[in-house]
Amino acid sequence: MAHQADARRMLDDRGYTGQTIHDTNPAHLLEKAVRDRIIDSYYWKEQCFGINEATLCDRAVDMTFIGGTYGQQKPTPFLCLMLKLLQLLPPREIVLEYLHQREFKYLTALAAFYVRLTFSSVDVYKTLEPLLEDYRKLRRRTKDGGYALVYLDQFVDDLLTKERVCGTSLRKLPARQVLEDLDQLEERVSPLSEELEGLDDSDDNERNGTTNGHDEESDSG
Amino acid sequence: MADSKSNAYGTNTSDTSFRKTWDKAEYTEKARAREAQEREEGKARYEAKLQGKKYYKSSDTTTAKQTESRANRLNVAANVGKTMLVPAGVAAVGKRGRGAGFYCADCDLTFKDNIQLVDHLNSKQHLTNVGESGEVGRATLEEVRARLEYLKQKREEDRKELNLVDLQERIKRREDEEETKREEKRRKRREKRRKTEGGVGHNVEEDEESGIIC
Ligand SMILES: [Zn+2]
Repeated sequence: MAHQADARRMLDDRGYTGQTIHDTNPAHLLEKAVRDRIIDSYYWKEQCFGINEATLCDRAVDMTFIGGTYGQQKPTPFLCLMLKLLQLLPPREIVLEYLHQREFKYLTALAAFYVRLTFSSVDVYKTLEPLLEDYRKLRRRTKDGGYALVYLDQFVDDLLTKERVCGTSLRKLPARQVLEDLDQLEERVSPLSEELEGLDDSDDNERNGTTNGHDEESDSG
Repeated sequence: MADSKSNAYGTNTSDTSFRKTWDKAEYTEKARAREAQEREEGKARYEAKLQGKKYYKSSDTTTAKQTESRANRLNVAANVGKTMLVPAGVAAVGKRGRGAGFYCADCDLTFKDNIQLVDHLNSKQHLTNVGESGEVGRATLEEVRARLEYLKQKREEDRKELNLVDLQERIKRREDEEETKREEKRRKRREKRRKTEGGVGHNVEEDEESGIIC
């Protein structure tokens, strides 16, 4: 099955008949203002036209930062590729391949964002929590056009806890505890907490505080 | 190909029966599609006749190839830095013929900026002209993996090349530095020789090449 090189069908608000995610046109998981900025952008027109699940990788590996919009509301390639993914709706196995390949960290970040937008709540936790141990560095484009350093685990933590990330209001995610109480999620045992317990037992206090090499503060706009 | 050989993917290629079935299936599928199209056309022609209109066959979409991603960035930078006089009235979208601005050779149209050009290149009109359907084939998981593997290798090669350039630059710099040192030595030697010539006058022969003083 092929898809249309342009996104007219997806962007047609009145006559959308395609697959829905969370009971809505997938494109609507991004905000209207952002969507309009994206389809007006040169990057979208030049780089996102005619790409499929494989050639999207060409673009993804060229990304050098994540983020929402910056400067004069210019959307990042990160957001443009997100809209493209929402148009393509790749099968789960391909999304997980994007997420778990180890060579291209911005592709991992893109897939994590996509998972947060499209997967079910339980699935979001199950799929993204393992990435809380991924400490690779990312650059984030800030609203004023500058850059900020963010670690992949921080970005994923933002996706799990914040309401707005990368210029996008996220669908409400039930607290982990709620899903645990409903027996939909197992209690999470992070390798970090195991390590911390291990530290309590051992006499070696020198390593204390080095397990989490950076502090929590971050500011996703 | 010899029997019992396996290909790069480790699958057996000696059994080609699957291929025949597939070809047959494909052929049947094509024939069915053609028949359906002919029926459709017949119907359209009939309906047009009823309305007293002439039927025009729509552009043939069965032979159109799928649209693919751009291999390169559009080369709009080629026009950057050149002074272009855009006559008044050219501001309209898509002026026929080659003019000042951004030109599509396939459609013989000129546009005033790169945005208009890319809008045009994405348009149904342009795609039809170059024989593309505007549909993009989906990729399988295997194709995604293969793409990522290719990109990984490409990145490694790029890195190697960068390192090589870096290495060559360092060698070049080292050579330059050594040349400067040698030049300095020669200068000092010449200075010394001048002094001895004007002084006691004992003969100093010099081998410029090796820098050895005999
Ligand atoms: Zn054209």
